[in-house]
Amino acid sequence: MRRYPLLIIGGGLSGLAAGIRFARFGQKVLILEKHVKAGGLNSYYHRRGRLFETGLHAITNYAPPADKHAPLNRLLRQLKIPRRTLKLRQQFSSEILFPERSSLCFSNDFSTLQSQVAENFPDSVQPFAAMIAALDAYDPFTPRPKISAREFVSSFLHDTLLVEMLFCPLMFYGSSDEDDMDISQFVIIFRAIYQEGFFRPQGTIKDLLGLLVTQYKNFGGELEFSTGVKEILTENDAIIGVRTASGEEIGCDYLISTAGYPETKRLFATPDTAAKFSTATEDKTSGRLSFTESIYLLDKPALKPITETRTIIFYNLSEQFTYHRPEKAVGLNSGVICFPENFEGGQNSDYIQLRVTHLANYDAWRHAYDADDKSLYAAMKKEWSERSKEVVCKIIGNYQKNIVYEDTFTPVTIERYTSRTQGAVYGSPEKIKDGRTNYENLYIAGTDQGYLGIVGSMLSGVTMVNHHILNKI
Amino acid sequence: MTIDEIKNVVLEIIQDIDDEADLENLNSGEALRDQLDLDSMDFLDIVMELRKRYQIQIPEADYPQLATLDSCVNYLTPRLKAA
Repeated sequence: MRRYPLLIIGGGLSGLAAGIRFARFGQKVLILEKHVKAGGLNSYYHRRGRLFETGLHAITNYAPPADKHAPLNRLLRQLKIPRRTLKLRQQFSSEILFPERSSLCFSNDFSTLQSQVAENFPDSVQPFAAMIAALDAYDPFTPRPKISAREFVSSFLHDTLLVEMLFCPLMFYGSSDEDDMDISQFVIIFRAIYQEGFFRPQGTIKDLLGLLVTQYKNFGGELEFSTGVKEILTENDAIIGVRTASGEEIGCDYLISTAGYPETKRLFATPDTAAKFSTATEDKTSGRLSFTESIYLLDKPALKPITETRTIIFYNLSEQFTYHRPEKAVGLNSGVICFPENFEGGQNSDYIQLRVTHLANYDAWRHAYDADDKSLYAAMKKEWSERSKEVVCKIIGNYQKNIVYEDTFTPVTIERYTSRTQGAVYGSPEKIKDGRTNYENLYIAGTDQGYLGIVGSMLSGVTMVNHHILNKI
Repeated sequence: MTIDEIKNVVLEIIQDIDDEADLENLNSGEALRDQLDLDSMDFLDIVMELRKRYQIQIPEADYPQLATLDSCVNYLTPRLKAA
C-alpha cells in the first residue's frame, strides 16, 4: 500500500495551496482530484477553440505590494510565488445598481465608495464611518459563534436601501447563508471587495492553475487526476487512509479534505464513522444557494459606453433585495453582470466577453436534468437564458444582436463537475472555522472552512497546513 | 558553523521568504518581525526552512528565542555546531 505523510482530497485552489505549503519543506504529499483537471470551482473548458472560465469573475483582495500584511501578499509569500510573475491587473470600476432607486460605484480606492455614499445617502455619512471603524477593529479570524451581519449593519445604518445595496455584492460573491451572513464572513468579504477590491492576474484561470500546479510539482508534490475518493478509511479515532474509486487503498498520517462539509461526511463508510465526523444532518450542512451563469461572446460594436467603464455590475430590481433560493428555476430580479476583460492593461481581444449570473433553484434544474424527456433540460436552459437577456438588456443596453456565441451552466453543471451538493458554490452555511474535526488527523480546508473568495480559499489551505500539520511533523 | 555563517544562513532564509526585505539596515538586537514587517506565518517559514536544511527540530516553545538576529545566533550555535 502506498503511504503519504499527507493526502489531500481535491485539486482546487485550496488543495493546491495546502499541497504547496507541505511540499515546500520537503515533505511527501499526494493530491487526489476527481476531475480530469485542476481547479474545482474555478476551472475552465474549451468550446470552438476558445477557452471559457467557470467560476472566476474577478479576484478580490487587491492590495499594493508594500502592504505586506494584506492577505494577497501574505499568500504569495507563503506559496513562494513572486508577485511580479502574476502581472496583476486592477478593475476599472464596479457598480451596485438598483435601477430607478439608487446606484453606488466602487473601485480599488475605498474613497470612491465613501464619496458615493456621501453623495447618495448624505444622512448616512456618520453612521457609515462609525460602521467602518467597528469593522476595522473586528478580528474575523477568531472562531466564535455565529452572529447576524444584518443585525450588526442595521445597528449602524438606518437607511434600509443603503443596507441592501451594500449587502448585494457581498452576498453574491460569497454568502452561503440565505438572506444573511455571519459577521466574520461579512467582515472578511467587506474588506476583500470594498476596502481592497478586484483584480485579475494576466491570462486566464488556466494560467493561474498552471502556475500553482508547476510550483507544487517543483517542490516534489504529487497530483493524480481522474482519481475520486470513494471512502475515508478509519481505525478507532483516526484516519488511516482512503480508498479511491478504482479500489486502491492509500495510507496517510494526515488527511485534508477540501470536498466540503456534507460531501466529506458522505465519504465515511458506516453510520458510526460518519456520526463521529459530525452529527449534523445534511438539511443543516448542505448549501441551498446556487447559480446559473451565461457566458456570451459579443462582437465589438456592442455596448460601447458600459464596456469601457464598468468591470462588474450588481443589480437588483425588487422592492427588497433578497438572497435566497428562488421559487422558480432562476431569479431574474437580481444578478451579476461581469465584463472579465475590463481590467487595466487588458489584451485587445476580437470579442467582448460578458457573463451574467443569477440565483437559481437547484431542485428545478435537477428535476429537469433527471427527466425521461432528455430535451427538457436543454429547453429550460434556452428559455431562461432568453428571459435573462431581456432583463439584462434593459440594464446594459441591447446586446442580443451582437451575440456570436453563448453557453449557460446551471446548478446541475456545478454539481456534476465539482461534486458540491446542490451546486452550492459557496458551500455549507455551517463553516468549520478552525478546520478541526472529531478525527484528530482529518482537517477541512477550502470553502467550508470559511475564508472567502479565491485568495481566501488558498489562504485556507495554507493556514490549515501551518496550524495543524507543519508544526507536528 | 561559525557565528557569521549562522547569521548568513538566517539572512539568506529571510531573503528567500521575502525578496524585498531590507537586510542592509537590520539591527541585530531588535525583533526581526517588527523590522521586516513579517507576520507569524512568515516566521514559521524560518523554522521550517532551518529544519529542512539542517534537520533541526525547533519546538514551538522555543520560537521566542528566534526573535532577533542575535538571539537566533545564540540559539542555533550549539545546534549547528556540527553542520
